[in-house]
Amino acid sequence: MSMNQVRQVAEAAVPGAVIGVLAGAVVGVMAALVGQPVGWALTGAVALGIPLALLGGGYGAVVALGLVRPGVFTPAAVLWLVGFPFARLLHETITPVLLGGSPTPPESIPTFLAFQALISPGFAIGFVWLFERLTPAWLAGIKDHNPVAERVYARYAVHAAALWEARERRRARRRPTAATGAAARGRQSRSS
Amino acid sequence: MWRAGGLEPMPIRKLPEAPPSVHLIGPTVFLVALGVGMGESYMWPRLVLLFGPEIRWLFLIGVTLQAFVLLEMARYAMATGESIFTGAARIFKPIMWFFFTIAILIYIWPGHLSAGASAFEQATGIPWQVAAIIGMLFVGTLFTLAKVVYNLVESVLGILIGVLVLGTAVIASLVGTWGDLATTITGMFAFGYIPAEANTAEWFPVIVGSIAFAGPSGMQQMWYTLHLRDSGAGMGAHIPQLRGLRGAGEEEEQPSRGFMFDTDDPEEMAKWRGWRRWVTFDAILLFWGITMLVTISFTVLAQAAARQSPDVVALLRDGDRSAALQAMSDSFGSIGMPALGTVFLGFIALIGLNATLGLFDSFARGQADMTYHFIPGAKRFRMAHLYAGFLWGVIIFGICILLWGPADGPAAILDILAFLSTFAMGAYCIVLLLVNNRLLPKPIRPKIWTNLIIGFGAFFYLGMLFYSLVRFGVIVS
Repeated sequence: MSMNQVRQVAEAAVPGAVIGVLAGAVVGVMAALVGQPVGWALTGAVALGIPLALLGGGYGAVVALGLVRPGVFTPAAVLWLVGFPFARLLHETITPVLLGGSPTPPESIPTFLAFQALISPGFAIGFVWLFERLTPAWLAGIKDHNPVAERVYARYAVHAAALWEARERRRARRRPTAATGAAARGRQSRSS
Repeated sequence: MWRAGGLEPMPIRKLPEAPPSVHLIGPTVFLVALGVGMGESYMWPRLVLLFGPEIRWLFLIGVTLQAFVLLEMARYAMATGESIFTGAARIFKPIMWFFFTIAILIYIWPGHLSAGASAFEQATGIPWQVAAIIGMLFVGTLFTLAKVVYNLVESVLGILIGVLVLGTAVIASLVGTWGDLATTITGMFAFGYIPAEANTAEWFPVIVGSIAFAGPSGMQQMWYTLHLRDSGAGMGAHIPQLRGLRGAGEEEEQPSRGFMFDTDDPEEMAKWRGWRRWVTFDAILLFWGITMLVTISFTVLAQAAARQSPDVVALLRDGDRSAALQAMSDSFGSIGMPALGTVFLGFIALIGLNATLGLFDSFARGQADMTYHFIPGAKRFRMAHLYAGFLWGVIIFGICILLWGPADGPAAILDILAFLSTFAMGAYCIVLLLVNNRLLPKPIRPKIWTNLIIGFGAFFYLGMLFYSLVRFGVIVS
């Protein structure tokens, strides 16, 4: 894969990374808003936001490469089942380091990872939900100069076309449609 | 033509193709926004702390039952493009008028605003009445200016719910423990567990009210049929979308009845199965999954808070919601993450905002639909005008109540709401059985086991409601 293609895939993967940043930064941003020290807010945002952004961006990249169909839940659930616990482990361990202390991993790492893995499907639902809402608009904006984005966008366009057809049918609804079959024939008198 | 009940027959039209792939953006977003509320974030965490995680089996039954109700509501709406209210009128018009009246009785009170706005007050210091009034005016203006109301509401709610789901998952992962989560989940399968204290006049009505608030409560499922239709699902594609007041001039003429597809055509039935798959995915993953996730997250949060501060349990027992939520917020601040308390209150406020957006739209939509089709002379107005009338009517009434109504309104309002909600839920289960089994062609009627589940729903809601009344002489709370 050429550098140009890597750049195109990376650009198409931006929404996934943004959602990762958003999720990781949720605590940090709120902390800053309510007047907590900037250092505290940034630590939370960086320590959790960066790993989640990398994983989210990775998901966006595999969608862009066509390895995963957009809108399908299972691949995202598998990604976060593995990725979310390790992102949290990293966050838990290095936050004190970023604040000038020494690393403090959880007491029981297997239990910690298992707990985070159980939380991860919830995170995956929220991630896919937002991904499906943000990605089409982002791809529409970059598809003119990015062939990878154009290809992924075409997949969304298939669905959009189906909705468009439904709307056209609705507009044309006054046109008489021939009734066929038993529902049209024999049941006129039936008043159920 | 398909004759169904006492109203105008439905012309036969083609059923549109179901969406080509499992896509995540559906009208269930409304149900999630409405359903994830105080039941998930406060009432059930409260019961878990008071009676133990085993009490959650009742929540599991409540939410699972609601998922089946969702699927059955969708059956009628997708097959005909009509709302469940029109279906009820086809059976017997007074049933529809009953729901028209009960909707006004339940939903004109601004009680649902108080929880979110109170949390906002605790986080920011802005008085909750001020936040609630600004919120109502904002919602009214937003929906008035929207060209097509559905598209706007779905987009806004979609982003808000996405942020809520991500945020609660992250927060639960920060403060929860393996033990909290394990007991919360295993507690859902302790079928039959009823602690002695729960079967008393003090607590039984609370439990019944909490079951009614598990997932969408009251008439929210009935309004879902209107959103489903407006999203163009199934035969809803043949019905024009509802417009905001600004777009009223472009409104297409509303047909006076829905449509039916040819159920003897194998191609049409294949498309119907596609629509059923689509809505089943919505019901299971989005509705059931997100409702479960949020309530599990909040229960884990409540358990973490109770460990930090025993006051939380005492305040929950007293039923002082604001104090309990504040104590939970404080307890997160005390475990070395000072911002978490505010984040927690922020999410309670977000839940309130979601519910407000969804409730005002849904109420106005439902009342406008019934008024337009069944009140003589109403058709000289456009649907958009009626929608705006009900929307601003409920907003202005709400503002008046907040300014001059009873000071202790919120809690008292929630009690009345809980009683009527439970009653409406039992009643719509019966309506669903009648509508789907008497008005739809045989090939698309529900299976016997589905009828049994919905029948159980009617028995469950009405039975508990009247047991509470007869056994303890107390309505639900």
